[in-house]
Amino acid sequence: MVEIHETATAVAKPTGSADTRLRSRWSAVSGLSHGSLAVASLVLAFLIWQFLSTVVFNPFLIPPPLEVIRTAIPMLMSGEILGDVAISMTRVAVGFVTGSLVGIITGVLLGRIRVLHDLLDPIIELLRYLSPTAMIPIAVIWFGIGELSKYFLIFWGTFFIVVINTTAGVWRAPIARQRAAQCLGANQLQIFLLVVIPSAIPYIVTGMRVAMASSFMSIIPAEILAADSGIGYLLQKSSMLLQTNRIFVALLTICILGFIVDRIFRFFVDRVLARYMSYISQT
Amino acid sequence: MLRVSNVSKVFESSRGTYITLDGVSLTISDGEFLCLLGPSGCGKSTLLNILAGFEPVTAGTVMSGDVPVTGAGRERVMFFQDAGSALLPWLTVEENVRFGLRVRKVPKADWQPIIDKYLQMTGLDTHRTKFPSELSGGMRQRLQIARALAVEPEVLLMDEPFGALDAMTRRHMHSILLDIWQRTGKTIVFVTHDIAEAISLGDRIGVMSFGPRSVITKLIDIELPRPRDLANPKVALLYNEIEALLAPDLARVAEHS
Repeated sequence: MVEIHETATAVAKPTGSADTRLRSRWSAVSGLSHGSLAVASLVLAFLIWQFLSTVVFNPFLIPPPLEVIRTAIPMLMSGEILGDVAISMTRVAVGFVTGSLVGIITGVLLGRIRVLHDLLDPIIELLRYLSPTAMIPIAVIWFGIGELSKYFLIFWGTFFIVVINTTAGVWRAPIARQRAAQCLGANQLQIFLLVVIPSAIPYIVTGMRVAMASSFMSIIPAEILAADSGIGYLLQKSSMLLQTNRIFVALLTICILGFIVDRIFRFFVDRVLARYMSYISQT
Repeated sequence: MLRVSNVSKVFESSRGTYITLDGVSLTISDGEFLCLLGPSGCGKSTLLNILAGFEPVTAGTVMSGDVPVTGAGRERVMFFQDAGSALLPWLTVEENVRFGLRVRKVPKADWQPIIDKYLQMTGLDTHRTKFPSELSGGMRQRLQIARALAVEPEVLLMDEPFGALDAMTRRHMHSILLDIWQRTGKTIVFVTHDIAEAISLGDRIGVMSFGPRSVITKLIDIELPRPRDLANPKVALLYNEIEALLAPDLARVAEHS
């Protein structure tokens, strides 16, 4: 439990001051801003990719970027890829939202009610090793290849990550904070709602971010193995037809989608939850 | 008035039984500034937690006025060394004070004057929209004081509140605390392991022995006028007396660590 959480925090914690100092020194040397370096990085990657795919490797195995863009345009124009994106994203959204909700509620209860924790924790500790991918074969038998099996698989992946982080967060709400509130006159319900749960928010948000990444990773195998639509299905179909350029379009789409969704999530956290995200208080 | 009669506290754990307090008796009168002084591990924080009602006693009784202490009470407010934990980091300075007023069901119309009064008293009125993470250690402790005073308790229980502050800030906090104590007439029980701090603050010092089976070995009344400067020979004499009293215990602490 601890280990998962620790890696998770590392992901979400803001970069340390030493790190920032190093970076600013480096950009001072090169005379470039952070933004232009990011653009440079992408341009460079594009050029290397173009070079490798035309000169070094077989362009059929690694289609050059221009070729991929040429393939992507009609797929975009016809709405084909957008349809697949919409389908996959809906599956992720439904599974992620329900998984997070049930995970948060369960985690809060487990963090607060000792008996419940002792009763359910061993089961969770065992089941969480079953990745959504491992659950695909049984999900297909239970729910078919329709939407429900995909919802279930994303839910499965999200639930365990969120539940473990939420429990840890509720568990670690500082005793001093709860006792201070108690002295001021707060009753048990107020302590729980106004002190413990807000204290757990950084942990919950971290859990949800990790779960979001995991949802993106598990929707693809789910669609490859058991679907007739979505980006995963597009990958699978293109592979059967040896259309490497279409495979690359699908892969790029996944990269861009993941990036956009994480930015939206971060934007939301910064806007709405910023005041709850202070780690300083817990030292 | 707080009356501790023959209180013992035993902790049971998988590693065995540990007798922290063994028959502690103490009477703290209204408006008194009492310092509990002792080496680390002497059970002074345990005694404070018992006074706050966070820990049940194993034997003996604790009375607050005529009422036995069985849990946290409205008239006693605890104060923590780690202000960062004790404060609500997602609320601003002003909102932290307001939180206490809200949970204590103080009528809404009274909130603003109370908040203004105590933020002014602690010198935080120009920082009301800041979050605790934006405050210095001393300011966080002052916010804890403001928040506690706003709900108008009779007793402040302070667990090494300034232990994590640097020496300068600490002295500043001492004068603020004494000033507030003199103006409000609260009863203060102040736990510390610093002899100089106990002498400069307390009306009385309860010296506690190193555990297990801690007791209050001596109660010392301090009649000297404040501020008490260590350069004053009378203060220095008292310091040496207390140090001599603690010496055997400190030697035992050294052995155990």
